[in-house]
Amino acid sequence: MSALDDLAQLPPPTPPGLSAALEAELAGLAPVATRRPLRQLALLIAASLVYGAGLVAMLAIRRDLHELPMGWLAGVGMMWLAGFVVPVLATVPRPGAVAPRWRFAGITSVIAALGFIGLGLVLHPSGPSSAQLGWANFGRGHGCLELGLAAALVPVVLGAIFLRGALPVGSRWAAAALGAGGGSLGGLMLHLHCPVTDGLHVGLVHGGVVGVAALLAAAIVPRATDVR
Amino acid sequence: MAEARELMQRYCDGDAGAFRELYALVAPRLLGYLLKMTRERALADDLLQQTFLKVHRARAAYVRGADPLPWIYAIAHRTFIDEARKHKRAVVRVGDAEELPEVAAGLTGESDDRRDEVRGDPALVSAALDALAELPAQQREAVVLTKLDGKSVAEAAEIAGTSVGAMKVRAHRGYEALRKLLGRAPKPPTDKAADKAAGGAS
Repeated sequence: MSALDDLAQLPPPTPPGLSAALEAELAGLAPVATRRPLRQLALLIAASLVYGAGLVAMLAIRRDLHELPMGWLAGVGMMWLAGFVVPVLATVPRPGAVAPRWRFAGITSVIAALGFIGLGLVLHPSGPSSAQLGWANFGRGHGCLELGLAAALVPVVLGAIFLRGALPVGSRWAAAALGAGGGSLGGLMLHLHCPVTDGLHVGLVHGGVVGVAALLAAAIVPRATDVR
Repeated sequence: MAEARELMQRYCDGDAGAFRELYALVAPRLLGYLLKMTRERALADDLLQQTFLKVHRARAAYVRGADPLPWIYAIAHRTFIDEARKHKRAVVRVGDAEELPEVAAGLTGESDDRRDEVRGDPALVSAALDALAELPAQQREAVVLTKLDGKSVAEAAEIAGTSVGAMKVRAHRGYEALRKLLGRAPKPPTDKAADKAAGGAS
């Protein structure tokens, strides 16, 4: 297309000089510590796990722990842990890039949110000491949702601090990954604490924490990471 | 883009001169992109300054060794989108009858000392710009980044915050729409055609 070719061959325009605001900023220019994604990721994971462990220690360990299949306990626990770690890996950019991998963040957030709901609905063994809420008392499970969201606070807040200014695009997906990761940490905590074993509660409340935390983070975090 | 990397690192280390060099290196291309998106020189200049102000304020988010260009372009993209949402009119559509001479001059972006350089046919360039302005913003951006700024589809997708597949679709649709728009526009007579016409008449 000749017209487009001609347009492409135009010499680049001459930009204006720096604005007074930029000149003022440059006058007081100081060195800054730049972002170190791997170090920040390690710090985020370590601090979140310590916080999560602290919450579990403050609350009681589930009373039916010894009655449940060890394979399920360990296997699902590992899945919750992976649900925390994998989405937050998205905060580390590809080599040579500045922005986090928001597409990876989006994919892992959706998989975690839907996967844990499905897993809880399908797989929820119980023991003699387990509790059942069912549909009738489904609303009484809101405490688990609140606990799970409380567990998500630290990874989401730390992630938001670390990613400030790094997310000109894809900020909602990256924030959702932080929320999904934090929600999964909350799910892990609930997995060790809550003795309710009916599928509705485990699936929709414990699993739902991931989706709710992801949505809340996607709504709130971009405002915190945006630089104006 | 080793030079941009090095300049960005020196700038993060507190070297104001490196920022000026980075501006001189990146701003012309960025302004070209913003001009093609906004079609308004004053607005593009303002968005350029806003973009660099944001880069300055977010410089701690830079990762050493990384290419800063896609990130800076993405900040420019975000700034343009925010401005478009704020004013709900990112594109100023000026009809032929109302065309402002200073806008047309700004679109080519040529400084006085470059006016003698070889360039494309002004009528074709103007037709292309008019057609470009008729595209939806997403298609316009896809065409500007991939066809005019020479970015790869992956780079353009990273800048615009979309997937590679979506960027391919936008670029393809934009290109097809442009082809139709330019096809229907009256073609300016070339020298050869004018000579032929003159010869035929005599």
